[in-house]
Amino acid sequence: METFELKLAEQRGNIAVLEVAGYINNEGGEAIAKEAKRLVDDGVRSLLFDLRATRIINSIGISLLLEVLERLLEVRGTLAFCSLTPSIAKTFQIMGLAQYARIFPDRGAAIQGLDPTQ
Amino acid sequence: MSAMSDPMRVRVVLPRTARAELAAVQAVEDLGQRVAFPRDTLAEVKLAVVEACLNALEYGAGDVVVEFAVHLKNGGPWLEVAVVDHGPGFNPSRVPTPALEEKLRAPRKRGWGIELMRHLMDEVEISSRPGYTKVRMIRRWGGK
Repeated sequence: METFELKLAEQRGNIAVLEVAGYINNEGGEAIAKEAKRLVDDGVRSLLFDLRATRIINSIGISLLLEVLERLLEVRGTLAFCSLTPSIAKTFQIMGLAQYARIFPDRGAAIQGLDPTQ
Repeated sequence: MSAMSDPMRVRVVLPRTARAELAAVQAVEDLGQRVAFPRDTLAEVKLAVVEACLNALEYGAGDVVVEFAVHLKNGGPWLEVAVVDHGPGFNPSRVPTPALEEKLRAPRKRGWGIELMRHLMDEVEISSRPGYTKVRMIRRWGGK
């Protein structure tokens, strides 16, 4: 149930798209943080998480996403999410994450929003 | 629906294993489907239940018991969840409300669980003393 998977789906210039599937808990959050750190260290400045296949997230997983956000803010980068379920969108809203991260309805809108030349 | 008992009750004892909280999530799904609770509402209940279970598993001791009741009468259906642990207890009024701006600067970025529960459920009551902590939450059909 809710098996976690993380996949680097696209990388265009300094934009990377990570597809996340399953439960974002401590283990999933750590995998995300590790991959995000690698990408940012490689020069990525816009990280888009496509959460289309994620239905459950917990506060430990969220705290690890905050580490990713903190790192991106340090390098003046952008954290973005797309395809959120209503409950996860509400969770991010409760936390105030929408003030720091960009949230898009789907990946196409996100890519266009992050890189208007596409 | 009238043939169902009122309330319908389910009791889950969480194992102390990784992802144990998902057993409670499954119970929410099963109960919610039986009374056709709206999917988005159920999804919010699941997130709140996960947070209550995580706290109980992390800070509690002994068995963590999750009791669900679906009430059909008195304006129902409405869902009641109680998560009980036997840890040292805590004073809920001393749990600070998290602020993202501060968390981003802090080394410890956790501490969102109770805040999320309070926003995702219609009612949250926490009673705690040494050896017994109970988080009782309610979500109504048309709530939040």
